[in-house]
Amino acid sequence: MPTSWRWKTAERIRPEGQTRPSARPSMPETAMYRQKYIFLLPGLLVLVAVILFPLIFTIRVSFSSWDVYNPGLNNAGGAMYARLWDDSRYWEALWRLSLLSLSTVLIQYVLGFALALLVWRDIAARRFLRVLFLVPMMTTPVVMSVIWRMIFHESLGPLNPILEALGIGAQPWLSQATHAFAAVMIVEIWQWTPFMFLLLLAGLLSLPSEPFLAARVDGAGPVRTFMSVTFPMMGAISVGAILIRAIEASKIMETVYVLTSGGPGTATETVSYYIYIRGMRDFQIGYAAALSLTYLVIMAVALTLIAKALIRLMVREARA
Amino acid sequence: MLVLRDLSLTEGGVPHLAAVSVDAEPGRMTTLLGRTGAGKTTLLRAVAGLVQPQSGQISLAGADWSRLPPWRRPVAMVTQQFINYPHLSVLDNVAFPLIRRGEPREAAREAAAAILGRVGLAQMTGRRPAALSGGQQQRVAIARALVKRAPVLLLDEPFVNLDYKLREGLREELAELLRSQSDTVVLYATTDPREALQMGDCTVLMAEGRVLQAGPPRAVFGAPATLEAARVVNDPPINLLAAEITQSGLVLDHLGPQSAGATGRALPPGRYTLGLRAEDIRSGGPLPARVALTEVSGSETVTHLMAGGQPLVMLERAVTDHRLGSELGLMLDLGKALVFGADGALIPKGASHG
Amino acid sequence: MRTLYLALKYLAVTLWSGFVIFPFLWMLTTSFKTANGVTGGATWLPWLQYQPSLGGWQSLFGGAGGVNIVRPYLNSLVVTLSGSAIALILGTLAAYGLSRFSFRAGPIRNGDITFFFISQRIMPPIVLAIPFFLMLRWLGLLDSLPGLILIYVALLMPIAVWVMVDFFNTIPRGLDEMAWMDGCPPVTTFLRVILPNVMPGLVVAGMFCLIFGWNDFFFAFTLTFTKTQLLPVSIVALNSSVTPWWALSAAAIVSVAPLAVLAFVVERFLSRGGLAGAVR
Repeated sequence: MPTSWRWKTAERIRPEGQTRPSARPSMPETAMYRQKYIFLLPGLLVLVAVILFPLIFTIRVSFSSWDVYNPGLNNAGGAMYARLWDDSRYWEALWRLSLLSLSTVLIQYVLGFALALLVWRDIAARRFLRVLFLVPMMTTPVVMSVIWRMIFHESLGPLNPILEALGIGAQPWLSQATHAFAAVMIVEIWQWTPFMFLLLLAGLLSLPSEPFLAARVDGAGPVRTFMSVTFPMMGAISVGAILIRAIEASKIMETVYVLTSGGPGTATETVSYYIYIRGMRDFQIGYAAALSLTYLVIMAVALTLIAKALIRLMVREARA
Repeated sequence: MLVLRDLSLTEGGVPHLAAVSVDAEPGRMTTLLGRTGAGKTTLLRAVAGLVQPQSGQISLAGADWSRLPPWRRPVAMVTQQFINYPHLSVLDNVAFPLIRRGEPREAAREAAAAILGRVGLAQMTGRRPAALSGGQQQRVAIARALVKRAPVLLLDEPFVNLDYKLREGLREELAELLRSQSDTVVLYATTDPREALQMGDCTVLMAEGRVLQAGPPRAVFGAPATLEAARVVNDPPINLLAAEITQSGLVLDHLGPQSAGATGRALPPGRYTLGLRAEDIRSGGPLPARVALTEVSGSETVTHLMAGGQPLVMLERAVTDHRLGSELGLMLDLGKALVFGADGALIPKGASHG
Repeated sequence: MRTLYLALKYLAVTLWSGFVIFPFLWMLTTSFKTANGVTGGATWLPWLQYQPSLGGWQSLFGGAGGVNIVRPYLNSLVVTLSGSAIALILGTLAAYGLSRFSFRAGPIRNGDITFFFISQRIMPPIVLAIPFFLMLRWLGLLDSLPGLILIYVALLMPIAVWVMVDFFNTIPRGLDEMAWMDGCPPVTTFLRVILPNVMPGLVVAGMFCLIFGWNDFFFAFTLTFTKTQLLPVSIVALNSSVTPWWALSAAAIVSVAPLAVLAFVVERFLSRGGLAGAVR
């Protein structure tokens, strides 16, 4: 893979990657053309001031033992990093997060693709269904989580009566570890499958029609058309959609905070939520900074590896 | 006078402009003639300030333009891909440059309407450019360039994307309009030698970013200074015949010995190249040749032939039907041939070579 | 075979529609309940299964048993709208610059700057929360609207850049050049010629800014305490152990409704192919 793969990855993740880095300069570079900075600088300065500097400051903070008892920057060396190395709660949260995000994204992809195919063409009330399927992603995640918490309520919520009527029986949704984990997954799927649906449907709608005509002429049925025409052409778009969702899923915490507060015990605690507890609740700023940076690096590396694997797996398939 | 001095621009090792110098006088049309990639467009863009040459000067009537950004240069340009403002009506498109320059809206609209009438778009002023045909859109672009009465007008193959009939019509309209703006410097880039001959008061031949030759079109056409210039200025392509003059007379590499006085002048022995225009070959002569391709264009016929390993192009001012593969007898009018020395430079008629 | 295929198709659509609508129906019916209606178990039909009341709705405006959400609602509107507007302006300007001019500083080129903008969206909020907290405390802007707006601008700008660079790239450079030659300096060119031609892009970018701004909870939650409360924070605050479900549901409806309308706008763009470029 070329050295610019990081850029390539960004291209797949975010569509505006279509700007080619080596775009032909259309303006001559004389002193008169300083005007170009009028456009870029305000936004860039805000971003550098608000995000880059604080982030760099965080690196410094992570080498201090800043907490309630020792507020301020001192020099603790790598003590915080040594501490997190032995912090099994952190590594368990990381493992749990990987499991949670990868499985929900996979389910979202399958469901989102299926839904996009369903309302792609020839179905009654197509546009109404599209609107309906999009609505959840417009809603505020924490607010909907509050509603879901009611729904999952073991005695007063509406879900258990339905399950009883179906003969499945009432479930201890938020008090049992596996059930709570499933509840978080259900809410994530409800909330974000629409986003996957949106990207994949936009992709389907942008496909050229000739290959489908050819498939019809060859007498291919819906299954074969999907396997040999639709799916291969959706390779790059699928990778993009999965990556965007994987990035978002790696941040999961709001749902967990509202629905289960990480419980029961630490059964649904994600990394973000654990860092939140350490940093914002226990006010162990130095330790939380070290946790954050480690988390950021691990996530960046993991997402990059996933991106490379997906591109190799799905995009080359599309070219073949 | 628009003076371009030693403009050079190299990008990625490719010389787009190589020490280009051109003087263009107001009230006359200067045509830049050259193939695609010869640097014509780059030169026009440099004049407009859209690209910055690495060295050289541009000045108009003594005022230095070299450091001026495009929006301070009084130029108007029409490009091959007609560009109009998609969000403005045809009328507002043409009025736009006037309004931007501070003229009152009403006066600008009136001037725009007047010029749109002259290019035959009086009925279309309320539409958006996208609702017009290609030819009409190009006329909007031309109207927008003319309405400014800019002292420098840059035309970059303005008609190349249009069909033949429209092209002819617009060319006449443009010539007509230019006659009324006699203080304007016009640079007109084209790949078509006939267009250059027909329209220009001065022709500048370009190839690979260099100026090959400049002068009145008839002079350039009649006596291209080099082999390269002869190639650029002739369409259909000029026939280049490698030749050797020995003690015994003129010998063409592929076509054999010719009569001693065929070129009509005395040349010292050595290697030469004869440039014979397509119209200086006629059928009905002694030289056997096989027809490889015939194209009829208007009332003319261009025939590509093969004569003893030498490809030849013949132009006849009549519609004739030569069957592919058939044999023709050709007559080469070598007396009209241009003679180039071994260095590729033209040896003018009457020049004495020692 | 064909009938079976169709039946499965409509069954799938119906099932998913039910799943999507389920929480909305539940919060709608719950918003009209009273304490008795809630403790009576999972009931759906007013009058038949429980006695409806407007108590939950009244509590939103300071009635008993709930929290007055008028103030947080206005706060949320101010922060979301001004944050989105500023982010849209700065992001659009930056996107235009990145699309049209070449920038370089050492090994850094346009592509790297664009990546820097977008990569902000990859950052987990918690990673930024601590530096944001410290920075706002240093600036004295903790628990204030200007502080939140500043943070939202930085968070939403990458979205605007992301959408707009793509849209600007579809506008031929010849248009800018034509405007320059017609006497417009770059800023005028941008305002008078380019901007009017990317209106659909501005709508899409603005929409995404509004969605992500309005729906943010985390930063509003970590960077404010009592003085400045945003809507999601006040709703979650209601979610205590003795939860007034009716007030909570009514507040949730009021909070979610304005953006749900945006689904229609998104669908329009989607069906007209306006988002096709966004996935390529």
